[in-house]
Order: sequence, then C-alpha cells, then structure tokens
Amino acid sequence: MNVDITGLTRRFGRTQAVAGVSLEAGAGVFGLLGPNGAGKTSLLRMMATVLPPTSGRLRLLGRDPGSYGPRREIRRRLGYLPQNLGYYPGFTAAEFVEYFALLKEMPPGEVPRAVAAAIEHVGLGDKARAKLRTLSGGMLRRAGIAQAIVNEPELLLLDEPTAGLDPEQRVAFRALLRDLGQRATVIVSTHLVEDVGAACTEVALMDAGRIVFHGTPDELTARGEGTGAAGDAPLERGYSAVLAAARSSTAVA
Amino acid sequence: MNQPPLECNRSAMDDDGLVARVAAGDDTALRELFSRHAPWLAARLRAALPAAEVEDVLQETFLAVWRGAGGYRPCGAAGGWVWGIARRQAALLLRRRGPATAGLPDGIAAGGREAGDPAEMALARADLAAAVATLGPPGGPDREVWRLLYEEDRPVAEVAVMLGVPPGTVKSRAHRARRLLRAALRGGAAAEGGSR
Amino acid sequence: MSDMDAGLPSSAPAPRATVPADVDLDRVWTGVATQVWRRDPGRVERLAGRLLRSPGLARALVVTPSLLLAWIIATVVVLFAGAGATLATGTPYVALLAPAVAAAGIAYAYGPGIDPAWELSQSMAVSDRMVLLIRALAVFGLNAILGLAASAASGAAAAVTFGWLVPMTAACALALAVATVTRLAIVGVAAGVAGWMIAVLSGAAASGQLTTAVTSSALILPYLAFAACCGVVVVYATRIPKGTS
Repeated sequence: MNVDITGLTRRFGRTQAVAGVSLEAGAGVFGLLGPNGAGKTSLLRMMATVLPPTSGRLRLLGRDPGSYGPRREIRRRLGYLPQNLGYYPGFTAAEFVEYFALLKEMPPGEVPRAVAAAIEHVGLGDKARAKLRTLSGGMLRRAGIAQAIVNEPELLLLDEPTAGLDPEQRVAFRALLRDLGQRATVIVSTHLVEDVGAACTEVALMDAGRIVFHGTPDELTARGEGTGAAGDAPLERGYSAVLAAARSSTAVA
Repeated sequence: MNQPPLECNRSAMDDDGLVARVAAGDDTALRELFSRHAPWLAARLRAALPAAEVEDVLQETFLAVWRGAGGYRPCGAAGGWVWGIARRQAALLLRRRGPATAGLPDGIAAGGREAGDPAEMALARADLAAAVATLGPPGGPDREVWRLLYEEDRPVAEVAVMLGVPPGTVKSRAHRARRLLRAALRGGAAAEGGSR
Repeated sequence: MSDMDAGLPSSAPAPRATVPADVDLDRVWTGVATQVWRRDPGRVERLAGRLLRSPGLARALVVTPSLLLAWIIATVVVLFAGAGATLATGTPYVALLAPAVAAAGIAYAYGPGIDPAWELSQSMAVSDRMVLLIRALAVFGLNAILGLAASAASGAAAAVTFGWLVPMTAACALALAVATVTRLAIVGVAAGVAGWMIAVLSGAAASGQLTTAVTSSALILPYLAFAACCGVVVVYATRIPKGTS
C-alpha cells in the first residue's frame, strides 16, 4: 500500500476541511471527486506533505511524514501538481522541469535524460527551449505534469490536472495516467466526472470533508440508476445521486 | 494561439531550410528533420546492423547533424548529406566493435588482408543501391543500360538490340551512368527521403 | 518516389520508408533531445553544489538573481545614488541606506515573495527552509559587496564604511522574521525598512548625529542579540507546523 490513511482530519481555525478520512491505495489510478470545498485539495496537500494533519494516521510509501528523514525520502519519490502552479516566466520548459528534478534530489547524472523523457511524454517536445511566458495555459499545465513525473514517482498527486487542456490533450493525458498507474499510485483530484470514468480504477467521492462513496466507476454509475438524479451521463447521475443521499442523511442526522 | 514572432511553418520548409535553422540553434528544426529522415535511415541501416546498434548510430548521427549543421552548403541534397553522416557513424561503430569473425566462410579471410565485415559489406551494398537510384526510375534509359550492361553483364551489341538504340547511344548512356554513380558515391547518395 | 507532397503535418509525419519493427525511434529521439536540451551547470553552480553537498540547493541559489533581478537593479541604483549624494553633501548615505535595502531584498527572498511556485517548492526534498537560508545569505552577501563598493566610491571614513554591516544584519533578521511569521514578503519588507528608519531616527534624536545608528560601537551587541532573537523566530516560523495554523 503506497497510501494508508486512517481517520485523517484537518482543521483551519473553526472549519473542518477534512473531517475523518480513511483510505488505502496501491498501484493504479485513483480518482477523487467532489464539489468545490469538499476538502479534496486539503487532502491532497496532506498527502503531498505540504500540510500536516490535525489528527489521524497518515502513512505514505510505508513511511511516516511527521519526521524529517522519512519525509525527505517520501518527497524524493513523490510527484505533485498543485491546483495553482505558478511558473517562472524567464525559465524555459526544460529548465523548469530540470529545476524541480534537482530539488527532488535526483542524481544529477540522470537528470538530463529524465527531463527529455518527461517533456516528450507530455507532448511539449516542440516547446522544450521556449520561455514559459510564451506558452499557453494548457501547455503550462503540461509543463507542470512533466515536473511531477520527471522523477518517475511512486506516488503521483494531481490536483485538477486537465484544467486548460483541450479534448484531444485530455485523451492523451488519460492514456498517460493509465500508463503511469501500472507502476505507481496516481491520485487525481478533479471535478470533471468524465476524466474519472475513462482513466480511474477506483473512485472516492468527497463531500464536506468526508468520503461518501468509495468503489469502482461502474459501482458509482450503478448508484445513479433508477433514481432520476440529475446528469447527462450515467456516471454524472451516480455522482448526483450519491451526493444527494449524503446530504439528506446529514440533514436528518 | 499566440505564435512567437519569426516562427515559420516548419512542415512546409524544405530540408535545406531546416538544416540552416539547425545551424542557427533551432532544436525544433532538428526534430522535424528527425521525423522526416530517421525512418528511412533506420530501414537502410537495419539491413546491415542489429536493432540496438541502429539506434545508437541514429542517435550519434543526429547529434552530429546538430553540431555540424553549420558546415552544410545548401544544395538540395540534405538527405544524402545525412546518410553520409550516418554511414560514417556506422563505420566508427563497426571499427569499435572490431571485425566480425564468426560465421565467415573459409577461404575468404585471406592472409594479411582484412576480411570484409558482413555489416560493412551490407552498408556498401546499401550505398550502391542508393547511388543506382539516382540514375532515375527503374525502366528509365540510364537505369536500364546500367542494369543490362553491368548487372547482367551483357555485351554492348546485345544491349543495343534489346533497347532498340544504336550502340553509340548505349556507350554514351553507360558513360553518363558511370559519371553519375561516381558523383553519387563520392558525395553521399541522395536518398529516397531526400530533399524537396 | 514523389517529392511533391509538401505540407505534411509535422505532428504525424508519414514515413516514406517503413521503420523496422524492432527499432524504437522514440527512444532514439529522447537520446538526441537529452544532449540537445541539456544545460550543464556552470563552474559556480558546481562549486556551490559541492560546498552545500546538494546540487538542488546550488541550483536554487544560482537562479536567485534571475528571480531577484528587480531588487538587484534597485539596489545598485539606490546605493550608487547614495554614494553620489555623499560625495555632494558629506553625509554617508550609503551606510544609512544599505541596511534598509538589504532588509527589503531578504524579506523578498522568502517563499511567496520570490517564488511563484511556492506551494510546489514546499513539497520538494530539498527543504524550503534551506533554500530560504541560502537565498538570504546570497542577498546579504550581494548587498554587502555592493554597499562596500558604493561606500568606497563615496570616500566615506572606514568606520562608517564597515560600520553598517552589523546593523544590516539586525535589519535583515527583523525583515525575515516578520516575513516568515506573516507569510507575506511585502510585510517583511515594510517591517525591515521601518524598523531601520526608527533606529536611525532615534539614534539621531538621542545624540544629535544622524549616523549614530551606524557608528556607535555600544550598539553592536544589542544589534547582534536582536538579530539572534529574530533568527530563532525564523527557525520556528519555518518549521513544518503541527496542528492548527
């Protein structure tokens, strides 16, 4: 198990962003769905060791990120794409990816080849030596994906990775996810339901800081059948049905 | 989408233009050259070398293109120039690898004379085939003369009868064919993937 | 073979020969691209990498000037204008300005101020605290060198030329402490500059001399003690926080 979480919570002042999440994830592509404010980003930040949990047990890649040494080892094997990734305008795409490869403490001898492979993998080969300020939003996102995969991470965390990508690029991206999911744990947080259906082997649906569904995309689709829930696609209907059920039960409780 | 100024439509550019841009440091032009020429180079090299070595030779070839593009004079024969580089890289690789000693029939390795490496010979055959291709399409006058006169070893008189032309014409075509072949072999054969 | 089909889309070239099935052209291109795209570290970076025992930290240090370009230009302008003013009026402006300018640069070297990819940097194996320390030292050193050059150019007395190094340490420490606690570089800048102005003005008010804050040797220990306290605050503020924050 690359990710092993039990009863994780995170509080900001008086708000509970994450209110008791437990999950386990091994190799494969894991989708994290939910409306805005459900706590997906906070959960992802905790898994990226950027945010410490308020309480609960968190084990990543078999290690405890609470102490410096194991946290550093986790970070060497981690790939993270935040929702808002800034960029350095004067850097070229290759320099950008290389910078983070070095900060992940990759052996310097391996860095040039890994950078070239990552850039080709996301389809930015034509723009490798172009300055980031000349790239479009979708290309910048792909540069962000490239830095996340450059160290061939065992745990890859992607927060809204397809923002700004056109449909053709999204298809290519899903193929990339499936490929990466063979060896690593890939956790994709998104509010685009169709991204999840196409690429993920497991799905969790979060609402108000809790996980209200955990299963396969087919099981989520099944939850929507016959309920008349809103949605244009079967998976969307499952999504709406589960959310509605979760909210009505909390209203009753 | 914003295009940076001065970006040209590389796919419509001819090979000479691409090499000029490579000489100016444009790595995207190198990429375009690679996508155009690597396939046929790989096919031709594969006839002589195992796959892993083909990959090594191709890599060294295009790195040599990257470094040496400044030395190319535009003459419409970029394909031949690249093949020339590939050929040299293959020869370097073969020299490093050492002469193949396994599987040579007895009697070929004469005393003192270096036996022909089968890969070396295959490359030479590939060179020759490419050079012959510069004589024109199969069935064309120069090509036919070459085939009948030198590949099938027929006398001039017989060739003249078969082609329905006077013997003098056969001789002058043969002369031209030899001249073209010499030039092609010296300068590096223009390839099937050659310049536009 | 037709050579006439111009305008082949470069994204999907149709090979006119069949690529042999066992030759991986993508791998070949990656190998070519590796050599074409690589940018080997310069001598300074390699030396820094050996000294710091971290190539990543060395790279973070070396890119700092490109991120702080505006600050570097501003520093040069301010200090050499100060040198010019000193030559004209005799008041050692360089000594008075250098600490404030350095404080501004140091505060700006903190995370969100200088680093657009701040959140990503926090997830890196090379700890952002180390990067901050290295950058702060680089800014400090750069400012010291520029200040000394400007001071020498303005012909000020030796005591004044070097006297501002200790106060500069205190001002920088203050700026950095405020920046890391508030998580806002700009507030740190304001605090450092304001703090230094207060020091200069109260020194002038107490003794009648404008340069007291810089020249008084009785202040050296207090400055250093203050800097040490601020240092502790910085270390505390940049730890990975546990619990609510």
